[in-house]
Amino acid sequence: ENSPSPLPERAIYGFALFLGSWFGFMLYLIWAYVPETWLFSLGLTYWPQKYWAVALPVYLLVAVGIGYILLFGINMMSTAPLNSTDTVTDNYAKKQQQKKFQEEAIPALRDIPISEVNRMFFLPEK
Amino acid sequence: MEERWYRSASGARIALRRRQHSASCRELAVRCPRLRLRSLSAATSAAWLAAYGLFVLTENSMVLSAAIIITLVGLIIYLHFVKIDQESLLVIGSLGIQVTSSYASGKESTTFIEMSQVKDVVINEAIHMQKVIYYLCILLQDPGDPQGVSEVVPLFQSSKPRLDCLIEVYKSCQEILEQRKTVPQSS
Repeated sequence: ENSPSPLPERAIYGFALFLGSWFGFMLYLIWAYVPETWLFSLGLTYWPQKYWAVALPVYLLVAVGIGYILLFGINMMSTAPLNSTDTVTDNYAKKQQQKKFQEEAIPALRDIPISEVNRMFFLPEK
Repeated sequence: MEERWYRSASGARIALRRRQHSASCRELAVRCPRLRLRSLSAATSAAWLAAYGLFVLTENSMVLSAAIIITLVGLIIYLHFVKIDQESLLVIGSLGIQVTSSYASGKESTTFIEMSQVKDVVINEAIHMQKVIYYLCILLQDPGDPQGVSEVVPLFQSSKPRLDCLIEVYKSCQEILEQRKTVPQSS
């Protein structure tokens, strides 16, 4: 049902997008390079200013550059500070149920409290 | 009383001093490296050279006096509010835990946490800036929920010792905290 294999509909969508993007690119080049007087003589007087043919790509590239820095900053802002309980536990760990211990079976998966983990790592039992 | 040298997370040499006052009272102090004369003179020369360059550009002598005043005030503020000389932990078995930070200007700020509020002292790992660091912290008990943690108090924030130093401090604290279970508390 949802396989990524090629289908006739997908081929048609792909070709339509290909033609559309080529047409859009040619239109952009014509708008940017053909002198204004020639466009007026053809009757096309209400096209946007040619200033935007340079401004929009510049806006786009600066936005991409700022996006890198912004993503980095958002990541740093959303890491939990050192004094928050999110570094130690969370809602799922607080509400977990204690499963019964069965002999000869693999113990059930659970979140081990940090005190227990510390004792196991750092206090060697003699 | 013993003193041993370790390294902080950024590579500076720090000293851990342990004193046992009694069977249930221990003091652990981490001493950071002092402000070095060469870094102080490097920073001051850089600031004054920049101010002199600005003076040559603008021909305004106020720039020079402003630079001198800013350097002096900045040094005083840095020594009094930023540069921590020593951070110490005093664990008294039946009473509580006292955390002291002493600044380079002599100022000391202390925090005391009652033993009934202390759930445990653990070494926790967390993401700090672009690194994952180990740090010692006190877990405070939630009065409503005996298994829950209400607050996390990080210790040794400015000296940031590495794991080997933290393990020593952790073992010393746990020896005293374990006595809580064997000796029943009178509430």
